[in-house]
Amino acid sequence: MEDFERQLRDALARKEQPPSLEARVFAAIAAGESKSWTFWRWEALAASVLALAALGAHEHMVRERAAGQAAKARLQLALKITVAKLSKIQQTVRTSTEE
Amino acid sequence: MLAIKTVFIAWIALAPLGAQEIKLPASLDRLAAKASEVVDVTMDANLLQLASRFLSDKDADDAKVKKLIAGLKGIYVRSFEFEKPGEYQESDVEPVRAQLHTPAWSRIVGVRSLKSGENAEVYIKTENGKIGGLAILATQPKELTIVSIEGTIDPDQLSELGGHFGIPKVEDDSQHKNSKGGKDE
Repeated sequence: MEDFERQLRDALARKEQPPSLEARVFAAIAAGESKSWTFWRWEALAASVLALAALGAHEHMVRERAAGQAAKARLQLALKITVAKLSKIQQTVRTSTEE
Repeated sequence: MLAIKTVFIAWIALAPLGAQEIKLPASLDRLAAKASEVVDVTMDANLLQLASRFLSDKDADDAKVKKLIAGLKGIYVRSFEFEKPGEYQESDVEPVRAQLHTPAWSRIVGVRSLKSGENAEVYIKTENGKIGGLAILATQPKELTIVSIEGTIDPDQLSELGGHFGIPKVEDDSQHKNSKGGKDE
């Protein structure tokens, strides 16, 4: 009987958790969080790169448009002067011929 | 414009072949300091190509310019207006003229007015039976303009630009005769 009571007491007695279990659980949680953070970090980085690329492309487009419009204006000015001069020369030739 | 065009065409057949680019002397840049108004346009092939991309095919005026510049390699314009006569010397123009006095280039028009002091010369360069370049030297007592266009150019297309983009309308001979006839009546 005494032996049985002793066995029962032993079985019901509070036992300390193996020290490695807690460590294993925290390690597992930490590993999970770390993976999640890594994933979000890469996603944020990719989004930033895309945003920067889009911004760069837009800026390039704006600059190119400005340069193109300026080039067009210069071209028109050059042609205006050329045609005006040719027209004037033509007029002078015609006037002198008529005289 | 028709008369100039006719001379253009005549010279295409007669002028010798050759290719030479006109270099605008640095001395011209020094004139800018004395001038009251300066126009300096330097458009190489790359800039012409860039401008071309901003000329719409749907817009009639743009389309004309696009067609005109399709064969061009460069457009260079230096124009100076001065407050008083004598600010530039003949020696400033001479280096340009010297480059045009080569077999590649032919002077097709020369206008000289003693009364007004205006002088103008038009030169063309022929390449493979086409006009491969155009140069204009126009001087007045208070004004100096040098235009150099490199590449294949069609005078018809050039005259078609008259009346657009603020470019003065070019009257051809038939129009001139009609308007003159109208005035006489």
